[in-house]
Amino acid sequence: MSTMEVAQLPILTERDIALSRQGIREAAVECGFGLTDVTRIVTAASELSRNIFLYAGTGLVTWRLLSGSRVGIEITFTDEGPGIDDLDKAMQPGYTSGRGMGMGLPGAKRLMDEMEVHSTPGVGTTIVVRKWLQQSYA
Amino acid sequence: MMSSSISVLRLGGVLIVTVPSDPDDDTISDLQVRVLQAMEGSPALGLVLDISTVQTVDSFFARTITETVQMVALMGGITVLSGMQASVAVTTTQLGLTLGTIPTALDIDRAMVMLGTLLDGRRI
Repeated sequence: MSTMEVAQLPILTERDIALSRQGIREAAVECGFGLTDVTRIVTAASELSRNIFLYAGTGLVTWRLLSGSRVGIEITFTDEGPGIDDLDKAMQPGYTSGRGMGMGLPGAKRLMDEMEVHSTPGVGTTIVVRKWLQQSYA
Repeated sequence: MMSSSISVLRLGGVLIVTVPSDPDDDTISDLQVRVLQAMEGSPALGLVLDISTVQTVDSFFARTITETVQMVALMGGITVLSGMQASVAVTTTQLGLTLGTIPTALDIDRAMVMLGTLLDGRRI
């Protein structure tokens, strides 16, 4: 797995959620994803970027294209917010600890191929999602 | 500012709003305010929300649109959502969003016809 390109965007204001969508859309198109997968990737990114804004206030979104045996995109969402108390609960559709709709985490997981959540209460949260070009059906 | 790109058109008794392709949260909120102001200024029986250029529908967008439709209903207007792209329909459904029971149409033309049916003879 080699890295082709890395980009990062701090999430500081609500407007940065739209900027992350735009940057990740360009990267996903460049990676060769079709329109439906681009839409899935961008929508997942929008949910997870908004989670940073809603729950941590600020954070960082990083994305890179992956090449090698498989081609894909990897997006990392990092914040130093309150963390996720109960990850099992947070993964249930409709559950929210606060201002969200409870769609972000389970929804993003369905839209992507892989999702890893690392969270420590009081320290922060890192979420990594990936989508592979070969597994694209649409 | 993207918000200035939103215009509320009036065609007889129907308001037509075209949602920009990648609106930020402020723009979506602004759209809601403008629609409600237009309803208040000169009540409309129907609203067509055209999302044919919209590339991403996330939970905030869906919630705000659903709320707007409910608010317009409280003010006596029926909303038809028109033009959702196939890629957006797939993603919205997989994300788990339902958009409630908002009537939908393939394009603005069909939305106008549908509004005529829903309003059933009331003059629009």
